[in-house]
Amino acid sequence: MKAAIKIESLSKTFRSRGGNEVEAVSRLDLTVESGQVFGFLGSNGAGKTTTLKMACGLVMPTTGTVRLNGYDVGRQRGQAMRQIGAVLEGTRNVYWRMNAWQNLLYFGRIKGVSSSKLLKARAERLLRELDLWERRKDPVGEYSRGMQQKVAIAAALIADPPIVLLDEPTLGLDVQASRTVQEWVVQLAKERGKTVVLTTHQLDMAENLCDRVAIMSRGQLLAHRPTGELLDLFRREFYKLRLRGAVAAEKAGAFPGFTASQENGHTVLSGEVGDDLSVFELVERARLADMDLISVTPAEPNLEEIFVELIERAEEAVGQDGSLERGAGHRSDGVKSRG
Amino acid sequence: MVLTGTVLLNECQKRLILLWSYRFNFMLETFMIGFLFVGISFFVSGGRPEPEQMAPALLGYLTWFFAVFAISDMSHGIREETQTGTLEQMYMSPLPSGLLLAGRSVASIFISSGMVILIGGILMLLLGIRIPVRPAGVPVFALTLAGLYGFAFFLGGATLVFKQVNALSNLLTNMLLFLNGSFLTVERMPGWMEAFARSLPSTQGIDVLRRVVLDDMSLASVWQDGSLVWLTVHTGVFLFAGWGVFLWGERVARKRGLLGQY
Repeated sequence: MKAAIKIESLSKTFRSRGGNEVEAVSRLDLTVESGQVFGFLGSNGAGKTTTLKMACGLVMPTTGTVRLNGYDVGRQRGQAMRQIGAVLEGTRNVYWRMNAWQNLLYFGRIKGVSSSKLLKARAERLLRELDLWERRKDPVGEYSRGMQQKVAIAAALIADPPIVLLDEPTLGLDVQASRTVQEWVVQLAKERGKTVVLTTHQLDMAENLCDRVAIMSRGQLLAHRPTGELLDLFRREFYKLRLRGAVAAEKAGAFPGFTASQENGHTVLSGEVGDDLSVFELVERARLADMDLISVTPAEPNLEEIFVELIERAEEAVGQDGSLERGAGHRSDGVKSRG
Repeated sequence: MVLTGTVLLNECQKRLILLWSYRFNFMLETFMIGFLFVGISFFVSGGRPEPEQMAPALLGYLTWFFAVFAISDMSHGIREETQTGTLEQMYMSPLPSGLLLAGRSVASIFISSGMVILIGGILMLLLGIRIPVRPAGVPVFALTLAGLYGFAFFLGGATLVFKQVNALSNLLTNMLLFLNGSFLTVERMPGWMEAFARSLPSTQGIDVLRRVVLDDMSLASVWQDGSLVWLTVHTGVFLFAGWGVFLWGERVARKRGLLGQY
């Protein structure tokens, strides 16, 4: 598979006014293959937006390179910029005083679409697909938040770039608008073969949309795997023990690190099974504690649980060593493990 | 060439659309600018303004209006676009940012020319002022504008890095009005002030423009007396220094991630 985005040894250090240095992105290596929906996950300040902006040529890296379909953003800027369209978070991205049609024509021209006929045809198609055609002559400032976001996405796509970068594309949208944007993201990748990179805090959305996810914390990559594999990996480690009736607290204490909950009159203990505790030992402990065990099943983790787990591990590692790099070693499966 | 034309038309079209969307403000501003000229002229002439005396003042005042537009575009305009994220979108263009910026500047000159013709025409009509149209004035005017835009690029570069340059740009706009020789003759200023006034963009341009347009001097004669030479050097310095500062600002903004931050 061809690499749409290739990031090598990418770092960005910002210097604050007080002279302190903040490493927003640290030696990042990442490849996003063509036609994928790629999710960039991380807490605020994890380095996702900075990475995206370096890919857009808006922020100059301290070290490293970003290549878009083989074009170096730093050295072949013009060709690299023809490969991407981006909607950045926290800003309007388009002129709210202009209408949707005018915005698309304006941005189409500055993005190098020289044929007026082609530009108008694309603008019409995009506006129709996004249900904006009827209101194309209204100023964007009068649209709902969801419609404004659609215009920003359409403007990013007007030059028909093969790579689309969406920074928090559904932030602040209502359920319906968010769903429309999500459906469109899938359509862009599956039907038009575009590579879509999105950052989001909505982990359920990432789980549904992304072929592959990268989880970042403090500028470093904690995990980078196909979404399904990442879920499988954690599925093996988490188990649920279903026990008949209520279980006394002292008995539940036989399973340190497990959380207890009540479901339909049963007690469910959920927790991680690792090197120091096997499934068989779990069953044995339940028998010794005289618990009425109904079932032992691998828990179905969602991306949110994995995200929280990985972030906690990273925080722990920083707490122990003062450095995420020293604390979190790289597992062979592409997930940074405890130090 | 086609690309440059497309960029230029694109920017002109955008500016006209945005101007139209603010048409009420625009009309009030036009009225205010006209009224300000009348007010200052009455004040400076002791309440008895003569059309012959007002012609040089109006020529300087209209040139100053170009400065207002250029400075506003490069400082307020860039700051606003930083906030709305449209500046980042511009920098994601495959076209060179210099070309886009030049397109913006030329569009700004076209739009402000339209406004100047409107305001100037109304004032000339109402006050009986006559400013002749002389071809020799065109290159002088072009040089004056180039110097003004160099100055505006300087502010644009500073805006990209420091953001809060509102107070500075307002101060400079007002300083240009009172020190560019429109209402107060530069020769009558104290020595230090005259030197400072002459170092500002547009002062020398207005001076040469008056001689060529109002006094009907030829380009050769203003070249020979050194005033056009000084204007050319002055403009060159402002244009190149301003462009250099803008490129510096752009580089720093990219380095610090300031293109979309306010």
